[in-house]
Amino acid sequence: MRLLRGIVTKLAGIVLAILVIATINFTLVHSAPGDPASVMAGQSGATDEKFLEELRAEYGLDKPFMVQLGTYLKKVVTLDLGYSYRQRRPVNELILDRLGPTLLLTLSAFFLSLIGGVVFGTLAGLRHGKWSDLAISLVALLLYATPVFWLGLMLVLIFSIQLEWLPAFGYVDMRASSFGRLEYAWDVLRHLFLPAITLGAIYMAVYTRLMRASLIEVAAEDHVKTARAKGLGEGAILRGHMLRNAALPVVTFAGLQVGALVGGAVVVETVFSWPGLGRLTFDAVTARDYPVLLGIFLVMSVLVIVVNILTDLLQRLIDPRIAVR
Amino acid sequence: MNKTLRTFLRRPAGIVGLTLLGLVCLVAVLAPLLYPASPWDIAGMPFARPGEDGMVFGSDTLGRDIAAGVVHGARVSLIIGVTSTIAALAIGVTLGAVAGFAGGMTDRVIVRITEIFQTIPNFVLAILLVAILTPTLSTIIFSIGLVSWPPLARLTRSQVQSVAQREFVQAARCQGQSAASVLVRHVLPNAISPIIVTGSLTVAAAILIEAALSFMGLGDPNHMSWGYMIGAGRTVIRQAWWMSVFPGLAILLTVVAINLVGEALNDALNPRISRS
Amino acid sequence: MNRREFSKLLLATGTTGVAAQTGLFGDMVAYAQNGEGGLTAIIQPEPPLLVVALNQQIPVGIIGGKLYESLLSYDFDLSPRPQLAKSWTVSEDGLTYTFELVDNAKWHDGTPFTAADVVFSCDVMLKEVHPRARANFDRCESITAEGDHTVVFKLKEPFAPFLLAFETSSAPIMPKHLYEGTDYRNNPANDTPVGTGPFKLAEWVRGSHIRLEANADYYHEGEPGLTEIFYRVVPDGASRSVAMETGEAQLSQFSDIETFDVQRLADMPHLDLTTKGYEFFSPVLWYEPNLRREPFNDVRFRKAMRLLLDPNFIVERIMFGLAQPATGPIASTTKFYDANVTTYEQDVEKANALLDEMGLAKDADGKRITIHHLVVPFGEMWTRLAEYFRQAMSAGGIEVVLDSTDPGGFAETVSNWDYDTTCNMLYQFGDPALGVARSYISSNIRKGVMFTNTQGYENAEVDTLFAEAAVQTSEEARQERYSKAQQILCDELPVLWMTEQKFATLYDNRIADLIVTATGVNANFAKAHYVK
Repeated sequence: MRLLRGIVTKLAGIVLAILVIATINFTLVHSAPGDPASVMAGQSGATDEKFLEELRAEYGLDKPFMVQLGTYLKKVVTLDLGYSYRQRRPVNELILDRLGPTLLLTLSAFFLSLIGGVVFGTLAGLRHGKWSDLAISLVALLLYATPVFWLGLMLVLIFSIQLEWLPAFGYVDMRASSFGRLEYAWDVLRHLFLPAITLGAIYMAVYTRLMRASLIEVAAEDHVKTARAKGLGEGAILRGHMLRNAALPVVTFAGLQVGALVGGAVVVETVFSWPGLGRLTFDAVTARDYPVLLGIFLVMSVLVIVVNILTDLLQRLIDPRIAVR
Repeated sequence: MNKTLRTFLRRPAGIVGLTLLGLVCLVAVLAPLLYPASPWDIAGMPFARPGEDGMVFGSDTLGRDIAAGVVHGARVSLIIGVTSTIAALAIGVTLGAVAGFAGGMTDRVIVRITEIFQTIPNFVLAILLVAILTPTLSTIIFSIGLVSWPPLARLTRSQVQSVAQREFVQAARCQGQSAASVLVRHVLPNAISPIIVTGSLTVAAAILIEAALSFMGLGDPNHMSWGYMIGAGRTVIRQAWWMSVFPGLAILLTVVAINLVGEALNDALNPRISRS
Repeated sequence: MNRREFSKLLLATGTTGVAAQTGLFGDMVAYAQNGEGGLTAIIQPEPPLLVVALNQQIPVGIIGGKLYESLLSYDFDLSPRPQLAKSWTVSEDGLTYTFELVDNAKWHDGTPFTAADVVFSCDVMLKEVHPRARANFDRCESITAEGDHTVVFKLKEPFAPFLLAFETSSAPIMPKHLYEGTDYRNNPANDTPVGTGPFKLAEWVRGSHIRLEANADYYHEGEPGLTEIFYRVVPDGASRSVAMETGEAQLSQFSDIETFDVQRLADMPHLDLTTKGYEFFSPVLWYEPNLRREPFNDVRFRKAMRLLLDPNFIVERIMFGLAQPATGPIASTTKFYDANVTTYEQDVEKANALLDEMGLAKDADGKRITIHHLVVPFGEMWTRLAEYFRQAMSAGGIEVVLDSTDPGGFAETVSNWDYDTTCNMLYQFGDPALGVARSYISSNIRKGVMFTNTQGYENAEVDTLFAEAAVQTSEEARQERYSKAQQILCDELPVLWMTEQKFATLYDNRIADLIVTATGVNANFAKAHYVK
């Protein structure tokens, strides 16, 4: 019963948060000078007053702000994110189209960085003070300070332009429609490689440093010393007594970084012309496509909340003690 | 303080970081002497390779000197990094301190707000803010400040909470000092060191956000910045790698320097947590 | 490094990247065969819809131009040629235009095309939804059908360039049976365009491609010569270059390929380059001062600004050769161009002398005045133009602060006259009366509306000249007035003309008769075919 109430409270909190986010964003977006009608008119190469008025009336831009906000929130509750003026399609559809590539990219980067971070962090932590620790720490330090878009460009320069190993741009080859399923998957994977590494690298650096520090700390704890005294092998000690405890803060921290990861995806998608939400965001900002922009914000926020819940679960999986609490 | 300084200077990371950072600052200060002409001036032929036509880092598509851009860009990066961090500190520390000290309803509301801000991807929010406010130095600083405060608020809150429990604070309260005065005179000074450390790292993060914004074309067009240079070089990276490589190295160097200093500061200010 | 070396450099660094990824030429052949007489072209950005009547953005015009048609098409010299009208006559007084229509044309849904469709389009629908068509057809006293295949346009007063109003994106003929009495913008038919053109919409996968297939019932025997056209959406500039390079795409147009990359691609054995086919548009690019504000209201200041600028710099370093210096308001490819006007060579000393004469003294830093320049938010070329403007002005002690904005803010700011200087580029639509006068006549100073006389230039004589020239029926009388107008404008510099833009069309050289009219890639491609 208490568990149920806990879940309900949590859900209510999430819904409230989403509505607040929707309101903040709506207000922000509408405080900008210029409206989508003038953008569209401007792009169509010829305008007059009548054309502008028509467009404004068509999209309800002539109504008072509060009325527009009310209409919007009502729709959000029913999971209707509105209609894009520019692209003439429902926002839900537009976002769904782009969600796949973004999820693929962010999740690949997320797991890549987490696994890489734990592995390299463990290696460095175990060889604490040795040259390999120093090398790993140094690389992590540098990666952590590298601007993500620049890293992307440098990888393109090396792997696409110099070595010609991997494609520099896009999601799949233009001829993909004639590909078999396996060939298609392979092609996407080749395209995914550089963006995922670019986006994951910085977080990998963070997790490596965190894992290293955490492992060193855990190694000094009593139960590890006891295990060693009992004559357990180093491998068994690592698996049985150290890894779980050391990885815990890394996972917690990784969960908190998801928002930043999604933000980073915007830049990475720009560098690699990856057809995801990030590019959609940027296009929507420049075209003043309000409904799309608001929709993306909501979806990204929900994404962050979902991943936070997932990391919560992951934590419980790693550390059964949390479930008891 | 002396002891802190000594601990700081004993760390090789601190020395290296401080040296690098000093170098970057020196370049920023001396920029008008090193390259008296505007970094926007057309200095020579376009697409000059590094070393060609008297330009050590080469030139861009219009024939502007990359080296002049890198040197002048240091000023923009540092100014934006520091001032937007000050803005973030102002918001974060105030909210965090009030939440941690007042507790109760105030605390819950502030924590909620902080959580909501942390849910919105901060870089996306920054893009939106800068686009709406139109990119100028001050709007960029404001936007970066506005998206960078939540971690500082959380940290300050937990610091203040733990310090507020201590006896000397309780004692000060019993003596009838006002809450504000207790907070400012007794609590904050004892909670400040981790905030300083996180603040220094926020500078590095702010520099990276500014670079990313400029890269996406949302920089102030009147100030040469590293992110802008990389963005301008992106489309011609096949023809002119130097246009993006050198400004990128400049960002890397600066951010590494600040991170090293931050870490050394951490070790010096929070000896409890530091590990040798 | 000289120019030749530079293009060699482009070639050396550029070509290597993709060859290995895609297996340069082997794949190309395989891919083109895949289409069997089909053409794969680039489209960017993806159009929001294909109905030219409702939207005149470039991509809509390009694809819509294959689906819809108008009465005429135009030669490279802008003389009219038959399309849906097989012949036409103009009365002596220049007031009555009679068009004989083709009698075997059908809409894509099988309904016969008749004069009623033309009357509905020009007299009803376009006047409602198409600003440029409205301006043209509001000049008509009546538009009537005589029988099924004759249409008569009666003008209120003569309008010399009236025959240029029948280009597809200026006056697309719409099917009356699908649109009459409906809410045009929300008509479901907008998603399944029905035109008379040589191609029909076959498939549209949003975000990926639009496929057109040949219209088997097209009214010219043996046309179209292509079986299908694939328009691929390729949002990234570098990817577009790669696609052209590997043969994945066989046609690129307008600004699809970054200017600095055009020559490299043109040098490839399988591609041809042409800059023809944009005569109808002939955009002229200029820096635009707001004449309502000081010091821009002083012609000496405008002259000084002009003398500080060098169009050749823009041509070479910003447009990479895809432009030529403009001498005045009318492009050399538009009718009634006159080269005999005051010209300006870059002369910093003379500029400074003019500024001194105005009493704008230099301060200790060598600065006379600070002005703002609104950066056009449509991509890198525009940013470079703004940056060049700032540097050029600094030589005269004019400090320029750049203001950036997004497209919404730009349209809002310029159309409400809230700027010092900005940059602009306008199409000329073949005749000064259609695309040039609008920027200089005082009756077109309209607040809140983009692409008007936004700088606020007022000169009664110029107004008269443009007004008279538009209604004169003899070419000589028109030329005389336009020449005079060009001379006055070049002396008064209401805006600072910089360049006539050229666009590059790159195409697979096995395809013949692709670019055959003044609207080039916007035309219907009915005659395009593979060389056997």
